[in-house]
Amino acid sequence: MTGAAAGTPTLEVTGLVSGYGRVTILHGIGLAMPAGHNIGLFGPNGHGKTTLLRTISGLLRAGSGKISFLGQDITNRKPREIVALGLIHVAQGNQIFPDLTIQEALRLGAYTPRSRAREAENQERVYRIFPRLKERRRQQIRTLSGGERQMASIGVGLMGDPKALILDEPTLGLAPRIKEELGDAIRGISEAGMPLIVVEQDVEFLMELADQLYMINHGEVAAQIRPGEQIDHEEIMAMYFGTSAAGGPPSRGTL
Amino acid sequence: MNALFEIFISGLFSGSLYAMMAVGLALIWTTIGVFNFGQGIFATLAAYLTWQLVDAAGFELPLFVSIVLALAVMAVIGWLFQLALVRPFIGQPGIVLTVVITTLAAFTILENITLLLWGPRPKQLPPLIPGNAEVLGFGIAAHQLAIIVITPLILLAVWLFLNRTRTGLALRAVSQNEDASLLAGLNVPMMYALAFALSAVLAGLAGVFFGGLKFMSPTMGTEPLVKALVVVIFGGIANLTGPILAAYLIAFFEAAATYFIGFYWTPALLFLVLIVTLMVRPEGLLTGRSRRLT
Repeated sequence: MTGAAAGTPTLEVTGLVSGYGRVTILHGIGLAMPAGHNIGLFGPNGHGKTTLLRTISGLLRAGSGKISFLGQDITNRKPREIVALGLIHVAQGNQIFPDLTIQEALRLGAYTPRSRAREAENQERVYRIFPRLKERRRQQIRTLSGGERQMASIGVGLMGDPKALILDEPTLGLAPRIKEELGDAIRGISEAGMPLIVVEQDVEFLMELADQLYMINHGEVAAQIRPGEQIDHEEIMAMYFGTSAAGGPPSRGTL
Repeated sequence: MNALFEIFISGLFSGSLYAMMAVGLALIWTTIGVFNFGQGIFATLAAYLTWQLVDAAGFELPLFVSIVLALAVMAVIGWLFQLALVRPFIGQPGIVLTVVITTLAAFTILENITLLLWGPRPKQLPPLIPGNAEVLGFGIAAHQLAIIVITPLILLAVWLFLNRTRTGLALRAVSQNEDASLLAGLNVPMMYALAFALSAVLAGLAGVFFGGLKFMSPTMGTEPLVKALVVVIFGGIANLTGPILAAYLIAFFEAAATYFIGFYWTPALLFLVLIVTLMVRPEGLLTGRSRRLT
């Protein structure tokens, strides 16, 4: 997905501050996602990746900063307005609608008027990418395996006819084989022309998929990586744990 | 034999009313996670509105037109309830208790407004179908028979709505996962409003059906609410089938107890059963703990 980034950027985030109640988690994050690019986000847990995604999709209010999607300001718009514009967030975890069948959940995914018009087409696409969902379309989501539930979550997202898809740790907690299958499906979705914003712990996977990686640490962008540039595993580990990781435990400071 | 038949009919009739009240409570609980103590006043208001429209002292409209108009008003009142008494507290800690108090307050206020507007004298609505019918050689009021037949159809319609339409799916989805519903582009506040409007209409129907058989008074909403509470505690509130089954069970129990033990001991006995149920299975006899609409 590399190449000339012509046209309006898919997503731009500048100086974003957000959090829960009085607890600020994001301290001025900035991202740029040119048209036709995928971006990957990684970093330690609890440092704001999910908070960032939830603020982008309107589930959390931004204290300050700006988010624009395809040139439109979407900062603090309602989630359903953002969905209607085509930015669709597949949340972390796979407990979407436990008591709906796959078929029902997919139908619900095409809730906005724009996606309703393309429901049949998108359903065919979902069943083509995930043939297992078609086999089990009459099964309740609670009865599926973790991998299948994740497929259903992504399927519901695709039913919304996205212009860009946000995936929050799509392979979290899955067995290696199913993880690989899901990884292939995600690469397939990207190759078919869908811009992706992906949070993953598996940096290797992100390096393959994304044109630009952002490491989020303490609610800030701690580092940016272009997969073209060589970077070795140790450097990433050092970023995760701080440079002191190599030199014994960090100082506790004095009180 | 005659006595058994009467217990059976009385159980089916009361069970129908309780079921409609309880399904409304369950709809609100599953979608929003709050308990509407104002449910009883929906029954009262619908009955009095219908009376105002149909009675010779009112506008003298045909009965079915009156019922439809009254139920339309109930949908609006249900929506207003949600807007004024629930929406401001969404997302706040302790919302369950807050809403118990706000809806109970609205109940009391509206009960007294009913008293002011229509007075304390008992009134009666015309029956849906006048006259008597004969079932298996026994005579019963045609109105009673109509309600026994219509209620399951209404409950079936609610089930079909929830399971076969996209809006119904959305209502169920909100009850299962609110964040995922928002991310699918659903208008969640609208679903809250819909749950309230629908349960106000169901409770309203119960009120109108009641008023066609017995005397209405401004306090008529209290008893069905208390019964619906017993029903949802007994049958659980986390889905629709539990409360429906429990509604009929409780009604049969009540009818049998009234006949064999006496009218005055029945409520005490009912609450004894309730207390024991709560001690043994706090989540209700017929369901698990999860909130869902099925």
